[in-house]
Amino acid sequence: MTRKVAAKADSRDRLRRVLFLVPYAVRHPGIPVRDLARKCGVPEKQILEDLDFLLGVGCPPFAPDDFLDLYVDGDKVHVALHQSFSRPPRFTESEAAALAAAARALGGEGRERVVRALRDAVPRDRRALFDELLDRIFAGSPPAKDSLLGRIEQAIAARRALRIRYFTDSRGEESERVVHPYTLAQRLGHWYLWGHDEARGKALPFRLDRIRECALDEKRFEPPSDAELARGRLFSDAQGTPVRLRMGPLAAAWALARPGQWRVVKRDAKGGAVVEVPGVSDEWATRFALSFGGDAEVLSPPSARRHYGDAVRRALARYR
Amino acid sequence: MQKAERLLDLAALLLRASEPVSWRDIQEQFPDDYGGPGEAAIRKFERDKAELLELGIPVRWVGGDEDLSAGYLVDKEDFYLPDLKLPPEDLALLYVAGSAALAQRVFPYARDLAHAMNKLSFAARAPGASEVAAVAALQLSADDAEEDARADAARRLEAISIAVAGRKRVHLVYAGAERRGRTERDVDPYGLYQRGGAWFLAGFCRLRQDIRSFHLGRIVSVEVNAAAPRTPDFEVRKGFSLAELATRESWEFRMHAPVRCRVRLEGPAIQEERESFGPRATWKDVDGGVVVEVEVTNEEALLRHVLSQGDRAEILAPKALREKARKVLAALARRVA
Repeated sequence: MTRKVAAKADSRDRLRRVLFLVPYAVRHPGIPVRDLARKCGVPEKQILEDLDFLLGVGCPPFAPDDFLDLYVDGDKVHVALHQSFSRPPRFTESEAAALAAAARALGGEGRERVVRALRDAVPRDRRALFDELLDRIFAGSPPAKDSLLGRIEQAIAARRALRIRYFTDSRGEESERVVHPYTLAQRLGHWYLWGHDEARGKALPFRLDRIRECALDEKRFEPPSDAELARGRLFSDAQGTPVRLRMGPLAAAWALARPGQWRVVKRDAKGGAVVEVPGVSDEWATRFALSFGGDAEVLSPPSARRHYGDAVRRALARYR
Repeated sequence: MQKAERLLDLAALLLRASEPVSWRDIQEQFPDDYGGPGEAAIRKFERDKAELLELGIPVRWVGGDEDLSAGYLVDKEDFYLPDLKLPPEDLALLYVAGSAALAQRVFPYARDLAHAMNKLSFAARAPGASEVAAVAALQLSADDAEEDARADAARRLEAISIAVAGRKRVHLVYAGAERRGRTERDVDPYGLYQRGGAWFLAGFCRLRQDIRSFHLGRIVSVEVNAAAPRTPDFEVRKGFSLAELATRESWEFRMHAPVRCRVRLEGPAIQEERESFGPRATWKDVDGGVVVEVEVTNEEALLRHVLSQGDRAEILAPKALREKARKVLAALARRVA
């Protein structure tokens, strides 16, 4: 980036930030500088510089009352005069389109409703641009039926327990669970419902595409505490011996360009690699290796190697 | 006066005015900026106006009539973020989807998305539970591993996002998967799509003279045509559908003429297996199993998909592909023997 372009981006960033910061401080009188900084995703020093900058902003004829007046008392920010910046501007087309694309990829009965609402929150003259841009981002297909997602979203918003029928891959069977749905989150290309499982007494992830059925329960729940959230993990730290795979050049290039918890053990001159993946089952390793059509194999631990070898022999038997 | 300050001053003036502000008044209030004579001052004002619009501040010119003088104004209705008036479950959808996307770090218009999420707290009354869910989503989805690589990918994606929005041509250095060498090419960026957790740029490749997809992780560097940033370089081809391209199964990539393939699955197919063959597959129950039929333009990809299912699945037709599956498995079996 040239210096001129960078400077332009900086000034634009600052403008966007202060157009949010001023109304936010109006709405939250006495908000600590630290909180504002966290909300805006910048260091506290930047917020203090922004406040300094804002002191010089006003509207003609620039009498004392025509300036913005924000001051810091102790570490708390107060707004004395906001000069009509009491609410942020409408969404720009790219803000609305990015959010709409994210919402479409998750889905739910409200999917198109939220897209319309976002569109209506863009200035009139920019709505055609919003439409065009939204056609240019595809963040994924919803992980489950809209009706199912709609119920989960409803339960999250109303803090109502959910009864789900869940398919567990490792056991190949379905079971009934009662879950307090805390949130939905995405990792490595899959969506999960993260919530407290009543019977197991702890928060667990449930893959959305494995929830066969769900219904809202009458029971209400308390949201997780901050401490519980801070401890929250979608997956517990991978345990057990990591699985080691050998990959040919094509498989290695494909796999390593994608998100995943790979650890490259060794690379060869042709571009192939030996990699380790922690916390996966023998079944997963076999399926994964075979998905490279002969360009990858499971090396260790012995149980995984055995599982893989058996699968290869049994599959081969079908072609005789 | 600094530009950022001038833009805000101008916005404040127009927001406070109860009537359109004439060009002459604006010149008088900003003598150092727009006071000069003739075209140059107007051009500068027009550029500022365009930037305000990009920030979400729509400045309009209204012609006068008997009741109103001619001039510029910011329509307050069209400026302040309105309440979205959505039911709680829809707010949960927005909050959770937005936060999960933000947590990925690598998402088109990620910076804009962060602004949008901030604004959302003004656009909805009492989001309560949804906001808590959003914080949780952000935390759970965030991946601290490989932070540097992601920051790099995020920067490339941001540059491409800007090019997509402005329809500006990009110059890519691309590390291909099949040939290990790098190629350089000019691409008209049509759009961005995500698949299996990875982002792809879809666009018209001027080197191959066709629409191609580029894996973000293999884009070594990207340069956006910097000339005339507000003038588009290309039109998107008629009939192009990003969603269609993004939801193609790997065996539907066009590598050869279409071939009908049949695969036999043992036992009843569970939902996940059915979905794994895509919405265009047809299914037939047979004795002790299911036969699925798909149209394939990339046999190699179908072979991989079937092999990944182990002894649950078997290619029936065409014969040549069946034979290939046998050879691959025989070679693998020799290695484990």
